[in-house]
Amino acid sequence: MKKRAASAVLSATLAASMVLGTTAFAEEEDNVIKIGVICSMTGGSAVYGEGAQNAIDLAVEEINSSDSEYKVEIVNGGKVVDDATDAKQAINAYNSVMSEGPEAVVGCFFSSVTLPIAEQAANDGMLLLATGATNKDVTLKGETIFRNCFIDPYQGKMAAQFVKEQGWEKAAVIYAKDDDYSNGLKDAFIENAEANGIEVVYIGECTTKDTDFSSQASQAVANGADFVYYPCFLDTVPLLVSAVRDAGFTGAIMGGDGWDGSDTSGMEDYFDNCYFTNHYSSEDTAPAVANFVSKYTEAYGTESLNACAALYYDAIYMLVQAAENGGGSDTASLVKGMTGMEFTGVGGTFSLDENGDALKAVAINTYEDGQVKWMMTLSPEGEKTE
Amino acid sequence: MTVSLFVQSLINGLNQGAIYALIALGYTMVYGIIRMINFAHGDFIMIGSYTLFYTVPIMINIGMPAWLAVIIAVAVCMTVGVLVETIAYKPVRKAGSMSALITALAMSIFLENLAMVLFGAKPHNVAKIFALPTINVMGVVLPLNVLLTIAIGVGIMILMQVFIKKTKMGKAMRAVPQDKDAAILAGINVNRIITLTFAIGSGLAAVAALMYCAKYPRVTNDMGSMMGIKAFIAAVLGGIGIIPGAMLGGILVGLIEIFVKLFAPGWYEAITYSILIVILLVKPSGILGKNLGEKV
Repeated sequence: MKKRAASAVLSATLAASMVLGTTAFAEEEDNVIKIGVICSMTGGSAVYGEGAQNAIDLAVEEINSSDSEYKVEIVNGGKVVDDATDAKQAINAYNSVMSEGPEAVVGCFFSSVTLPIAEQAANDGMLLLATGATNKDVTLKGETIFRNCFIDPYQGKMAAQFVKEQGWEKAAVIYAKDDDYSNGLKDAFIENAEANGIEVVYIGECTTKDTDFSSQASQAVANGADFVYYPCFLDTVPLLVSAVRDAGFTGAIMGGDGWDGSDTSGMEDYFDNCYFTNHYSSEDTAPAVANFVSKYTEAYGTESLNACAALYYDAIYMLVQAAENGGGSDTASLVKGMTGMEFTGVGGTFSLDENGDALKAVAINTYEDGQVKWMMTLSPEGEKTE
Repeated sequence: MTVSLFVQSLINGLNQGAIYALIALGYTMVYGIIRMINFAHGDFIMIGSYTLFYTVPIMINIGMPAWLAVIIAVAVCMTVGVLVETIAYKPVRKAGSMSALITALAMSIFLENLAMVLFGAKPHNVAKIFALPTINVMGVVLPLNVLLTIAIGVGIMILMQVFIKKTKMGKAMRAVPQDKDAAILAGINVNRIITLTFAIGSGLAAVAALMYCAKYPRVTNDMGSMMGIKAFIAAVLGGIGIIPGAMLGGILVGLIEIFVKLFAPGWYEAITYSILIVILLVKPSGILGKNLGEKV
């Protein structure tokens, strides 16, 4: 009797746990995509994180108040987790996001920070949608790693194509030796410049901590360059531009998306004839861009309205579309939906290739009185719109 | 290497070196009097630069020459310098040189983080301070603010020498490091002399900040650390505690950096630091230093 009672209790618990199990499973099968977001919230690049946070808030609000089949929830109470633009901090940030059981992770903006996270995410089978990380190795880490931006070689290639179109012939390259991003753009630029008949007359090294560029600038001038390529990040851009201009250089100076948000105040005339490739331009007249720019500006002003904000905004929408394509909000369905996706957003219309990289056009910006002005958009096939 | 590139590099080196020299003057001044390496000196320059960042636009707005902002910067830096000395350095002075050194390092980190909280981590551009023309001779560009920086450096050097050698206050300053007890017996208020030294050293930091911002128009909260170390190397190279030595050392470090960048760009910091080691091995008291050994 005792035995029977015990088995009855046992089977009851078993049945109950099965029921509970199914409900737990059903909860995971709800229509809410749980997303963890990582970006640089402190340090010299904090302006990117600010843009990311605002863009995420905007996208979440739009999606959750629409009649979309899938809703989104940002873990960590809706806050972007800080990676401090540091590879070690990045893993901490990733682990803290993972402890809340997200179904997808969005981030980060910098390649150096994203690479270790991508490696970890590939091991965990977690979907990682990288935003600004343009180093080509990021998506090669695993099947679950995607990105919604172009890759370094591509940005360097488009810069070389732009130089050829403008008719410049002698390029000098100054790059930060201690930075993956800078090396990636430099290699691609040099390779494509030579293929396009542009002579690379000088290659100068610097570090991301340098303040003095007078030596490199003088050598670029001494070698007769009519174009200077500086694929580095925004905080040293004003110093480089002023050093190169002070060395008597009047030709074009160009950089990559790392230039976005550079401070030009006080040196507006120095930034004349400067250009950079970027993920999008706020002046682009496409409806998706116009909608994003007007809503963002209304809520947060223009100071943090940069490409980073646009990429994080698109990332959230891409995950929603992936859930629709894949037919579920769990990680496996999202990965399925993400693979080979066609997407139209602020960053233009693009598809994800077999590696999970976005094939998309680049916006080329220039400066007028220190203000960033959209100049043209160059597509992968070499088409351009001005 | 063409002749013009050589001359250009010489000018670039002098330009950078003159700024190191200005910073090294402040270092050497404090060390010469109280035998203490003030690692927070670079951060005084950061404070001076932030002051300039906020005051230069005001000066321009009220129609004054932008460089007059340096007066406010000198006042701010002197206040901070004296405060730091009274609050942090004076209480540990009796505890020995190791405690003083650690306190200075702590102060440096504290000031950097305080600046991050107050002004944010984002770098700021300083408005143009001097509207000096550049002269272009046979493919060589000579910015006139190079000459100005060197002139200010030499001017300060001479003033400091005269002040220390000729005035009563200067004599008292020299007496303190020789024998503190004897100085007290001779009626010198040692604490006041040390505070005065800090005030002058910090004021020099503000002048260095002016010339730094004229060449590298950007302020960040951590700008002082690297620059401070370079200037410290310059001071040791010239002979720490010797005022003309700081000038010479600064210009040498600047020239070495620029010329190393010409031939082996990635190596310039490794080579600059190894110079410090070599100098200390060959001539521990620096180029202009006298090999006297520490008096006990």
